[in-house]
Amino acid sequence: MEMDSLPNGNHATGTPITATANPAPPPPSNLPQLTDSLKLEHQFLRVPFEHYKKTLRANHRAVEKEMSAVISGVNEAADLSPDDAVNHLNSLVSRLQGLKRKLEEGSRVEHLQAHKCRVRLDHLESADAENMSEWSNTRLKRILVDYMLRMSYYDTAVKLAESSNLQDLVDIDVFQEAKKVIDALQNQDVAPALAWCADNKSRLKKSKSKLEFQLRLQEFIELVRADNNLRAITYARKYLAPWATTHMKELQRVTATLAFKKDTECATYKVLFEAKQWDFLVDQFKQEFCKLYGMTLEPLLNIYLQAGLSALKTPYCYEDDCTKEDPLSQEAFRTLALPLPYSKQHHSKLVCYITKELMDTENPPQVLPNGYVYSTKALEEMAKKNNGRIICPRTGLVYNDTELVKAYIS
Amino acid sequence: MDLSSIKDAFDRVAKKQKLSSSKSQEVVDQVGREIEQALATIHSPHDLSSPVDQKSVLTELKFKINAIGPLQQLEGSNKELNASLSKYQKLLEKVLNPDISKAYRNVDFDTRIINQIIANHFYRQGLFDLGDSIVNEAGEPDATALRSQFLEMHQIIGAMRERNLQPALTWVSANREKLLQIGSNLELKIHRLQFVEVLQNGTRADALIYARTYLTPFASVNKDEFPKLMGCLLYAGRLESSPYSELMSPIHWEMTTEELARQFCTLLGQSYENPLSVAVAAGVEGLPTLLKLANVMAAKKQEWLEMKQLPVPVELGKEFQFHSIFVCPVSRDQASEENPPMLLPCLHVLCKQSIMKLSKNSTRTFKCPYCPAEATVSHCRQLHF
Repeated sequence: MEMDSLPNGNHATGTPITATANPAPPPPSNLPQLTDSLKLEHQFLRVPFEHYKKTLRANHRAVEKEMSAVISGVNEAADLSPDDAVNHLNSLVSRLQGLKRKLEEGSRVEHLQAHKCRVRLDHLESADAENMSEWSNTRLKRILVDYMLRMSYYDTAVKLAESSNLQDLVDIDVFQEAKKVIDALQNQDVAPALAWCADNKSRLKKSKSKLEFQLRLQEFIELVRADNNLRAITYARKYLAPWATTHMKELQRVTATLAFKKDTECATYKVLFEAKQWDFLVDQFKQEFCKLYGMTLEPLLNIYLQAGLSALKTPYCYEDDCTKEDPLSQEAFRTLALPLPYSKQHHSKLVCYITKELMDTENPPQVLPNGYVYSTKALEEMAKKNNGRIICPRTGLVYNDTELVKAYIS
Repeated sequence: MDLSSIKDAFDRVAKKQKLSSSKSQEVVDQVGREIEQALATIHSPHDLSSPVDQKSVLTELKFKINAIGPLQQLEGSNKELNASLSKYQKLLEKVLNPDISKAYRNVDFDTRIINQIIANHFYRQGLFDLGDSIVNEAGEPDATALRSQFLEMHQIIGAMRERNLQPALTWVSANREKLLQIGSNLELKIHRLQFVEVLQNGTRADALIYARTYLTPFASVNKDEFPKLMGCLLYAGRLESSPYSELMSPIHWEMTTEELARQFCTLLGQSYENPLSVAVAAGVEGLPTLLKLANVMAAKKQEWLEMKQLPVPVELGKEFQFHSIFVCPVSRDQASEENPPMLLPCLHVLCKQSIMKLSKNSTRTFKCPYCPAEATVSHCRQLHF
C-alpha cells in the first residue's frame, strides 16, 4: 500500500521527467480500491501453486524411491552368481532408463503447472482502470465456475470456462481429482477416498483431520449392516483401534452398533445407518479437499454475494417502490439478504428521484414548495422543456422554476 | 499491491525447480554410467571373467555409487526447492488476504435461490445453453420462469443486429400502451430507423408511403422530429450528402437496440443491469472493509452473527447508490418515517428529532447549528427525497 502511493507523491514534486514518464496517471481514487480487491485473490494464486507443489513432491518421491531401489540392487549384485549379477545390473540399467523417461514426463507436467501459476500472476497484473469492466466480467465468471465446481455442476463449469477461454484461470483440473472421490462416495464406495487420504497422509495429519477415521467408521457400519459381525470386529481392531486415543467416544458409539441390528429403533444408533451419513462424508471430504488446496471453505460466490448484499441492504430496499436497478428489488436477492445486517451510512447520500443520479455539490438538491426534492439537473431540464414550469412527478403539482430553493445537506 | 515481489518469488521457485530437476537427471545419468562401466569392465575381452575379478568390480561399483551419494544429492537440491516453495507460500499469505471467508456469516443461504439467480443471469445475457445446463445439473426446473421472455428479447435484438426491425416493431406495437405509460418513444425511434433504411434503399415513393403510414401518427407528439424526417424525403437515395446524413450513423442502431433492451426489462419488472453482476461487484468493493471489521470482532463471534446493522459504513461507488439516505448531521441517525428530514428557514437540513431537541419540544426558538440564523419549529418544512 505504501509503495502504491509513492508515484503520486513523486508527481506532486513535479520534476518534468516523472511527468513525461507517466503522462496520464489513473485516477488516484481507483488505485487503492483496485489494490484492495486484488488482495482478495489469494485462492486464485494459491490453488495452482498447491497443485504444482503436489506434483513436485510426488515426482521427487518417485525419483527417491527408484534411486534407493537401484542402490540396494547394486549392493545385492555382489552376492549373486556371476551371470545373475550381470543380468541384475542390466535390469538396473533399464530401470534407470525408465526413471529418466519418467523424470522427463514429470518435468513436463511441472512446467505446465508452473505456467498456470504465471498466467494467473499476469492476469492479476493486467487489471487496471481501463479494462476494469472486462476484467470484472472475467472475475464473475471465475467466481461462477468456482461455485459450480464445488457444487459438482461440472458440465456447466466446463462449458462456461471453455466458452470464455478461462481454462487457465479456473481450477477444473484440480476438481477432477475431487470428482472421482465424490462420485465414489455417492455410490457408497470409500476406496478412492481412502486412497486420497493415504496420498495426503502427512498433510491431513498436520491439520488433525479425522476424515480417514470417519471413512473407516462408515466401512465398519456397512459390515454391521451386512451382518458380517466377525469381519467387522477384525476390521475395527485393524483400522479403528489406532484412533482410540483421540476419538474414544465416537469409536465406542459406532462399535456399540454390533449389539444392534441395522433396523434398530434406538435413535443414537439408528442415525448411523442412515443414508445421509454418506452425504455427510461427501461434505467432510469437500472441506478437507478445499483446506488442502488453500481454498476458502465456502464458495467464493456466496462470500461475495453476502458481502455485496449486506453493503447494499437498506430499509428502503424492501419497499414496494424500490427501484428495479437495485438487486434487492428482486425477491430472490431479498430472501438471501434477509438474515444479513443492514448497511450503515455516516453521511447522507441523496439520489435524484427523476434521473437516479447522485445529488452532490455539482448537482445540488433543490426543494419544491411542497417539500419534494429533485436534482438541479433534472429540474433545469424539465423547466427548459416546459417554459419554466416544473411538474412534481410524485404529486402532480405545478410550480414555477423561480420557486425552487437549494437545500444544504452536510 | 506488491505483485512484482510475488512474481520474483515465483521466479525463484521455478529456478530451483529447474535446478532440482536437472540435478535428478544428472544423478540418474551418473549412476547409470557407473553401472554401464562396470558391465563393460566385466565383459571386456582381456578380462577372463573370473568370479574373483567380477566381485572386485562390483565392490568397486558399490564404492563409487556410495561416493556419488545419489540420495544425498537429490535430497540437497530438493531441500533448496522446498525452502523457496515455503517462502513463496508465506509471501502469498502476507501480501494477499489468506482467508476471505472470515467475513462470511453461517446463515441460511439457499442453494436453490442461488442456482435460480445464476440461471437467470445466463438467460438475461442470451447464454441459453449455459442457463439450461445449470438448470439441468442442479435439477431446478422452476428456474426457467424468465427464459422465454429473455429469449424473445434476444431474438428481437439479434434481428436488429442484422438490420431486421420486424420483430422489434411487432413487440412495440403489442406493448404500445405500457410503453406510453413509461414515457417511451421507442416506437417512433424504430420507425425512424426503418424509414432511413427505406430512404437509402427504396424509391422516394416507398419512403413517402412509409412516412404517411407509420410516421404521421407521431407528428403531433414529436413536433421537432417529424419535420426533420420529412425533410429527408428530398434526399432519398443520397442521404449521405444531405444535411441529415447524421441519421445514417450506426450509433442510432446501437442506441435504439440498447433502449429496447432497457424498456423490455422495465416492462418485465427486471433491472437492465445484471443484478448478479451488481451484487458481486458490490461485494468485491465491500468485502475488504467487512474483513477488517470481522478481524476486529473475531473475539465476539456471537455479536457478529446477530448484528442487525453493520457498525461501520461500507463505502461503495456511486453506481451502487439506489436510495436516498439522509443522515442527520447532528444526531447521526438515519432519517425514517418517524424521524423525517426537515428544512430549516436558513436552508440547512436536520432530522425532526434533532429539531425537537434543539427547540426543547418546540417551546422556543433555536439557533441552526450550522449558521447563526434563528428558527422556530413551525417554520421548518418536511422534505421528501
